[in-house]
Amino acid sequence: MRYLLKATVASIATAIALAGPASAELTGNLKINLDTSNPAPRATMETLIAKFQAENPELNITTNVIDREAYKTQIRNFLSADAPDVLTWYAANRMKPYVEAGLLEDVSDMWADGTDIANELASTKGALTIDGKQWGVPYTYYQWGIYYRKDIYQELGLSEPANFDDMLSNCEAMIASGRKCYTIGNKWLWTGAGWFDYLNLRTNGFDFHMQMAAGEIEWTDSRVRETFDNWGKLIRMGAFIDDNQNKDWQQSLPFMIDGSAGAILMGNFAVSPLREGGLTDDQLDFHQFPAITPGIAMAEDAPTDTFHIAANAKNKDNARAFLAYIVSSEAQTEMNNGANLGQLPVNSKASVDDDKFLNKGFEMLSSNSQGGVAQFFDRDFPAEMAQAAMEGFQEFMVYPDNLDDILERIEGVRKEAY
Amino acid sequence: MFPKPIEKSSRAWQLGYQVLLPIVMLLWLAPLLAVALFSIRPDTDFLVGNYWGWPSSFEMIKNYSMVFSSAMPRYIMNSFLITIPTVIGAVALSSMAGFALGVYKFRGNLLVFFMFIAGNFVPFQILMVPVRDLTLDMGLYNTKTGLVLFHIAFQTGFCTLFMRNFIKALPYELTEAARVEGIAEWRIFWYVVLPLMKPAIAALSVLIFTFIWNDYFWAIVLTQGENAQPVTAGITSFNAQFRAMYHLMSAGSIIAALPPVLMFFLMQKHFIAGLTLGAVK
Repeated sequence: MRYLLKATVASIATAIALAGPASAELTGNLKINLDTSNPAPRATMETLIAKFQAENPELNITTNVIDREAYKTQIRNFLSADAPDVLTWYAANRMKPYVEAGLLEDVSDMWADGTDIANELASTKGALTIDGKQWGVPYTYYQWGIYYRKDIYQELGLSEPANFDDMLSNCEAMIASGRKCYTIGNKWLWTGAGWFDYLNLRTNGFDFHMQMAAGEIEWTDSRVRETFDNWGKLIRMGAFIDDNQNKDWQQSLPFMIDGSAGAILMGNFAVSPLREGGLTDDQLDFHQFPAITPGIAMAEDAPTDTFHIAANAKNKDNARAFLAYIVSSEAQTEMNNGANLGQLPVNSKASVDDDKFLNKGFEMLSSNSQGGVAQFFDRDFPAEMAQAAMEGFQEFMVYPDNLDDILERIEGVRKEAY
Repeated sequence: MFPKPIEKSSRAWQLGYQVLLPIVMLLWLAPLLAVALFSIRPDTDFLVGNYWGWPSSFEMIKNYSMVFSSAMPRYIMNSFLITIPTVIGAVALSSMAGFALGVYKFRGNLLVFFMFIAGNFVPFQILMVPVRDLTLDMGLYNTKTGLVLFHIAFQTGFCTLFMRNFIKALPYELTEAARVEGIAEWRIFWYVVLPLMKPAIAALSVLIFTFIWNDYFWAIVLTQGENAQPVTAGITSFNAQFRAMYHLMSAGSIIAALPPVLMFFLMQKHFIAGLTLGAVK
């Protein structure tokens, strides 16, 4: 056992040595701020940091774990006031305000052509690029899709929908059996944004969705309306559980567990509470959100979490070495396995843990997502825009007839936000 | 006498009162009961939607020991280290300021006093940015000292108003008699006025203790992380990226609520006195 541990440490040491700039032992300080406050991710990060420490005994590492929600409000504060060297955050538009405020370090040098990072993390380079420069490295991501009760589908003789018509007819059968098709808890708005993302990606495609995110398309555009019309079909037929605007997403899970709703559109993090709630892997299954407009390439939401260096950091060399370490295939494999984060590694050389849903997600993202990979509504759209739009989605899900009003209002915000 | 004692009303009124009272109380306490109940439920009760029913198993020991093995004891310690110095500081400063304003007649006395009162009317939220910048410039950002100093500064205003009015109501003859005896002014404060102020000091301490213990706003503005944050801010550390650990948060809230509740019950007399002191003259 001891030997094994040594061997692992040694192999990681080699990995770091190979990773490039960190070959010499590091000295000085390294201050890390983490938002991985829940027990499993926290332990994972602490283990990985301990290994990094073992490799660099002269390095003085301080880790500061802040709970995830508080972190979101504190990040601007600590980036300017009391900057750590390394910090966790999110890719795409979510990092944009901090990039524009000059609070994050440009790490394009780490992404230069020919480096391991450039080769092994190529798939996420776009999400970390703003103004042609890279501002951080990714460490984990996860798929979104429809998690459904396989046993109920079988009981009703339904199969995974291949297109929107299937989806609607499945739903009719579900409603006829006295159930709801989809559970959703839309109190905190982002769950509804997931539905908009998928309906829009399937109705109008990835490129259109990204043009919307960039503010180039009016919300009153007929193509946007088409997305809402599709959504409205589901809402009007009673596909979603009642009072969904009053429930948080965790409160929507009991409907899935007791079988009064058949499916949920959610990220892979829903699997663990559903399993804990008593669903077995025979009862629970996953399928990709079905095609709507024929011929449009499938595109997925796969939010990526990232590490950055603060622009005001005092130990940037150490921070770069840590970033290189955290994205190495060894660290990636270990960090993302089922016992730890239970998500997908971003390094193409890392291996995906042998979990039913991780495998399905990985396969979907690597073989059937030609359209592109989006981050998620509130990460792709600017914050002001996302907030107004998500409030509109929530209203739309309760009062679908207010659509004109809602779109006018969102359009008003679009004109000001960009 | 108002309100009319219930014994004096008709039998029907009394019956209605006796039936309604427990129902209203239950309704009123329902959120608190839910929290208490959740703190002894297993996590899965929440997942299957068992919010109000009988717990599927009793996990009191497990939940509470998990709370104590987390960073919670650290947060509670921080709360004490912030609250107690603040109470001592604010009460000490305001007794002295109250003495000066209540006993000495000098020009500007009323002006100073009005400034203390006016300070109370400033909504503290608008001070957020300047105070944060100030603590940062002083190198006190994210320290318990910074939080304590700010709380003392802000609470002293209210406390001084309270103390000054109390001292003003004391018989001035006592001070005069002491002066006639030729006693130094600081000894008058220490040996004559201060002993008489004991009820006010006790009442004020209890009030300030609960104010500061329950403060959330400044805790999240001026501190981050477990080295300095009090329990009100630390409780959310049971929120994960995706999931909130409602059973642990409930257990944590109960523990965090105990000190002010204990304080209230032990010092109930002073608490009520504090609220009504100076109200009737």
